[in-house]
Amino acid sequence: MSLSSFIADTLAIAANEFRQFRRNRSAILISLVILPLFFTASLGAGRGGAGTSFSATTDIPMAFVDNDLSVASNRLWQTLASSPDFHSLSQSYDEQQSIGLLGSKKIYAVIVVPKGFQNDLDNGFQARIILYTDDSEPGVSDQIQSTLTNYVQNFNPNLEVQPILTQAEKQSIAGVEIIQKGASFAGFNVGLTIVLAVVQIFAGFYEIAGGMSREREEGTYARLLSTPVPIEAIVLGKTLFDLLLSTARTFIVLGLAIYGYGARPNTDLLTLLTLSLLVALVTMGLGFVASALKLGQRAVVIVEFFLILFLFAFSGLIIDKELLVGVSQTIATLLPFTYAFDALRRTVLLGRPLLSLTWDLEYLIMSGIIFYTISLVLLRESRERLIR
Amino acid sequence: MPDSSISTQGLTKVFGHFRAVDTLNLDVKSGELFGLLGPNGAGKTTTVRLLCTLIEPTMGSATVAGFDIRKDPAAVRRTIGVVSEGVSLYKDLTIEENLKLLSTLYDLPRNRAESRVQELLEMFAFREKAKRLVGALSTGWQKKAMICAALLHDPKVLFLDEVTSGLDPQSAIALQDFTKHLCDQGVTVIWTTHYMGEPEKICDRVGIMFAGRLVQVGTPGELKHSVSELSVVEVETPDLSPMQLEKVKHRLSSMNQVCRVRYSESKLQVSCERKETLAEEVASALLDVGARIRTINTKDPTLEEAFIALTGGEEEIDRFMESAGQTK
Repeated sequence: MSLSSFIADTLAIAANEFRQFRRNRSAILISLVILPLFFTASLGAGRGGAGTSFSATTDIPMAFVDNDLSVASNRLWQTLASSPDFHSLSQSYDEQQSIGLLGSKKIYAVIVVPKGFQNDLDNGFQARIILYTDDSEPGVSDQIQSTLTNYVQNFNPNLEVQPILTQAEKQSIAGVEIIQKGASFAGFNVGLTIVLAVVQIFAGFYEIAGGMSREREEGTYARLLSTPVPIEAIVLGKTLFDLLLSTARTFIVLGLAIYGYGARPNTDLLTLLTLSLLVALVTMGLGFVASALKLGQRAVVIVEFFLILFLFAFSGLIIDKELLVGVSQTIATLLPFTYAFDALRRTVLLGRPLLSLTWDLEYLIMSGIIFYTISLVLLRESRERLIR
Repeated sequence: MPDSSISTQGLTKVFGHFRAVDTLNLDVKSGELFGLLGPNGAGKTTTVRLLCTLIEPTMGSATVAGFDIRKDPAAVRRTIGVVSEGVSLYKDLTIEENLKLLSTLYDLPRNRAESRVQELLEMFAFREKAKRLVGALSTGWQKKAMICAALLHDPKVLFLDEVTSGLDPQSAIALQDFTKHLCDQGVTVIWTTHYMGEPEKICDRVGIMFAGRLVQVGTPGELKHSVSELSVVEVETPDLSPMQLEKVKHRLSSMNQVCRVRYSESKLQVSCERKETLAEEVASALLDVGARIRTINTKDPTLEEAFIALTGGEEEIDRFMESAGQTK
């Protein structure tokens, strides 16, 4: 089979999915209205959202060292100290002692105003302040740096922040610890990390496993198998269409979360979309595995219910993975969705760039590949069971 | 094109402990309308699924249109069309959309696909219904749509599995005529059914399947001839009570050769091994129980009677149906 023929088959399957979908009112309602709106609205209503102040740094302890002792440096101190973003900023007179406290978990950053600060500003030179951060807590330095940069540029455009990391970056839980320390996020930011993943998991599994079982029960799957189309094209075609649906769902969730519940994701749209679609892809792979096991439509709904319970119990959604013990922690460590929630927290809450989440991304991509490979093998092997 | 359009050697399919198809050796010529006759569970549908490459054989080999079903299943699928109870069309799509999807999957060039779709819609009088959803059509029209879909890519071999079930008599006859027309054009057709009358009317040859085995193959005439040792007597005897019928059955069974006695719509039919005096014995038994006789005829066995004789009688079939149902 030529590549062009394979692509044509794949696109034909995807287009076929679209044609069926647009005629199926209940599918449209469930997939694009009820699921995204229900989860977003119920979490939004439960957690409250709109109107809550937003600051990822407000309760992070920091020190301010003024070596210039000038009017300008004093104004900078007052600007920062009175801002809601630096609520836990305290003044220190010993730069070395403050830096020495980094890593002790007593403070997480030291903002140093060097000598000559006012002079540089007065003469129109580029002035700078130095930011020492403890980056043993992933994302903290990025967060502090971006917030501080924002402030100092508003203070004076000629001012810049020179960041200095004092610890090698350590991969550990993101966000969770910050939340426990009391940092507050935009009203619905935490909810958004849950909804983005849960909606894709719930809908993606139902659409793939449910759709395949419907095809099997109605005999259209046997029709496809009686044509020369390879099973890979069937799987890929269905995946393509479902990715489109997942994209639409992402926008619906984001729209409602941002405009309805005041979420202010600390990352860009591309990152959110990428993570959301990765979660959808992993789930679709799982859906194909389930469909190869000849689940009926009713069984799909039951399995989906348990899948969601499983997610809530073991993926760090409610209880941190680190707090789980024994088998539970092993399950959480193996479960790809744990890494999805983790990645969403790091980006949505802490503003970490997507490409810095190497391990989370690798694990999700690897899981997707594994699920798809298993499902292709099973679909080939169980070919005759599926049409009987 | 080889002379044999379908050829199987020892084709066997085992599901667990159940041999659905058992050492099938079959040759079907190009352009032949071949009937596979047998009760439910005899292995007809499994045979079709094996030949359509929907399932893989446990043992044996087969070629369809010259392509090996194991080695080159994709080539087999390009050359066959299937209409089966388990192979359906998308109900949420129109007939036209279903056909267009399949034309892509069969790699038909766009121009050819367009003209072929229109040609088939015309041929099956689907013009006005082309934009209607398949799910909104009656069973008969859905069957027609499935045949349309099966013919889309000009298959060399067409499998029609229980295709007339659920069809009204007119549609069934029209379909039989159309199938014969296809064979005249060189298409090989495998027609599976459990309706005994169908293959007798339309098939060039018939294979009788029972318990996964091909019991006999031949033209309908040859099959009937193979059981010409059978005598059939039909008596029109109105108002025969159950008690009278029991007495007649008892009397005839004491002769030992009787294989079947059936009474319906005032007609008593008795089949047994050839016996010159059968008509007299039946008449005598009826008169002895006080039954009235309007007419009495001896006749040649039908394909149905041939089938029953070849598969070991009704009791054997009942036993098989029961065990097939349990195993499956």
